Amino acid sequence: MSRVEHLGAAWPAAGRLRALATRTRRLGEIARESLRNPTTLVGGVIVLLLMLMAAFAPLLIEPNQPNAYQMPRDFSAVNVAPGTDGHVLGTTPTGGDVLYGIVWGSRTSLRLSLIVVAITVVMGVAVGSVAGFIGGRWDEVLMRLVDIFLSVPELIFALAIAAMLGPAFGNIILALAVVFWVKYARIIRGQIIHVKQNEYVDAARVMGDKSWRIFFKDVLPNSITPVVVQATVDMGHVVLIGATLSFIGLAEAGLAEWGNLVSEGQSGIIAGRWWVATFAGAMVFLWSLGFNLLGDGLRDVLDPKSERR
Amino acid sequence: MQVREYIVRRLLTLPLLMLGVSLLVFGLSRVGGSPIGIYIEHEMTPAEVAQIEERFGLDESLPEQYIAWLGGVVRGDLGWSGVSAAPVSSILLPKFTATMELAMLAALVAVALGVAMGTFGGARRNRLGDHVTRVVAISGASIPIFWFGLLLLIVFYLGFGWAPLGRADPTIYARISHPTGLYTVDSLLNLDLRAFFDALWHLALPAITMGYGSTAIIARMMRSSLVEELGEDYVDAARAKGLPERLVIRRHARRNALMPTMTVIGLSWGFLLQGTVVVELIFNWPGLGRWMTDAVLQGDQATIMSYVLVTSVIFLGVNLVVDVAYAYLDRRVVLGQ
Repeated sequence: MSRVEHLGAAWPAAGRLRALATRTRRLGEIARESLRNPTTLVGGVIVLLLMLMAAFAPLLIEPNQPNAYQMPRDFSAVNVAPGTDGHVLGTTPTGGDVLYGIVWGSRTSLRLSLIVVAITVVMGVAVGSVAGFIGGRWDEVLMRLVDIFLSVPELIFALAIAAMLGPAFGNIILALAVVFWVKYARIIRGQIIHVKQNEYVDAARVMGDKSWRIFFKDVLPNSITPVVVQATVDMGHVVLIGATLSFIGLAEAGLAEWGNLVSEGQSGIIAGRWWVATFAGAMVFLWSLGFNLLGDGLRDVLDPKSERR
Repeated sequence: MQVREYIVRRLLTLPLLMLGVSLLVFGLSRVGGSPIGIYIEHEMTPAEVAQIEERFGLDESLPEQYIAWLGGVVRGDLGWSGVSAAPVSSILLPKFTATMELAMLAALVAVALGVAMGTFGGARRNRLGDHVTRVVAISGASIPIFWFGLLLLIVFYLGFGWAPLGRADPTIYARISHPTGLYTVDSLLNLDLRAFFDALWHLALPAITMGYGSTAIIARMMRSSLVEELGEDYVDAARAKGLPERLVIRRHARRNALMPTMTVIGLSWGFLLQGTVVVELIFNWPGLGRWMTDAVLQGDQATIMSYVLVTSVIFLGVNLVVDVAYAYLDRRVVLGQ
């Protein structure tokens, strides 16, 4: 057994334990700092409340049958003002209960943002990793592709795709997934190129580690932080853009979704019926604000350049 | 890398990017299958359908179709706009000027607000004023533009009856000539101050709605670069010679902090352009965005494709100008890489 192999065989267990301890300590540090940072704190509280609302929607309001994501219609109570019995936040021009739309809309938003962010992070990180870690011609080709995607403003791109696919919420999800992955590709590529130059990566290579092992063990974990921040911000951004698309009219009519509700309430504004658009739009704002604050604060908390060191 | 080399390289990649965008846009038209659906009706025989396919070149291979389409675009033939019942190329210009007038004023709002807020926050780092401007700026990035516009309408149109809808008062519009299509400029050329204020009046709410959304990114950049500049030696020197802090910021730090902020102004154009889509819908503004939403709802392919193409070209163009100007002004950017 050569000397290097011998070292490799003796150390992993202790090394892994130490790594685990460091990681746990780091997580505790992040949590403590997040609580001290006013931005993450406020954002976190907003996000937490919205998540609770989405999680407990069936307990808050009885789901509509057969499809809970479709607004129940009460044609005997059309355009009812807020504060009425049975319709605390009023109703839409088609008799939809605004409170129902708001509570179940949080579930629609959660579904939308989770699906889109999950798909785009995986896609973007995969493409960006290939470009950054393998480099060379792969990098050149993939990054030009990313440049092309970034040449079209994202809302406009998503709007065009969704329009071509036809009005349906599923198509909005698809359109957003096509548009949002590029950012992650660019972020992770830059990080990987930077991290690759570190001495511990050279050390791993000298020790004879396989490329894929170096990538997953040393490079990716040290490159992922900005992706986490971006994903947090995008949890809000996806809902903002998705609501804009359904406001324009690209979701199914009657879907319990906030942008849809604003669109339904828009026509009544001239007649003084302000409540539908105001309440539903405020939810989009809160959702997006919560994740934006959280992401913005995390950027500071996770930044090794901030006061922590 | 030399500045000139950088600029040349940027100029050379521009056509390649545009070619890529054109491929993307062409791909868009095939996302929902062949566009033949627009032309055929139920009672047509297969022979008639084949005839239509042949007439529009839809029986050829995709690359051939793409080249035929691109050739048309280069010659200025962008297809037939269903929503306007006219060739796209003939209606593009007035809509383009309407949107540009709105976007430019919104950019002015965004830059003025963003620079002011960034300076205010940066000068009061981590104090109350900084936190407040941060929240105001992040709110701008989080607020759904369609909702913010409606709120402004509820307050200023319904509540106070101050704000107008549309682009101009028809009687005032009719009494001046329109050489440029930018109403504010036209009215000044006509030496008609009333028309000028009318145009501004109609621009105000939509421009504020759009501008606020782009403020955050500018404010954030301005704040962080001001904080950085305030740590430099020349700032200490200015303070040491007894200059009041207000002047240190205004005369020295802010000027240098504006440099990196310039680059995000280019980026924020993307936000502005996408903002026009909903803002024009809400305020009934007769520009490209309104045209796009009409087209989206009616599935008008030629209009959607032209819109995406035109917007991307504007976006790429603005970013190129900003980056080149920045590289020229601040040589560290390129030389350092």
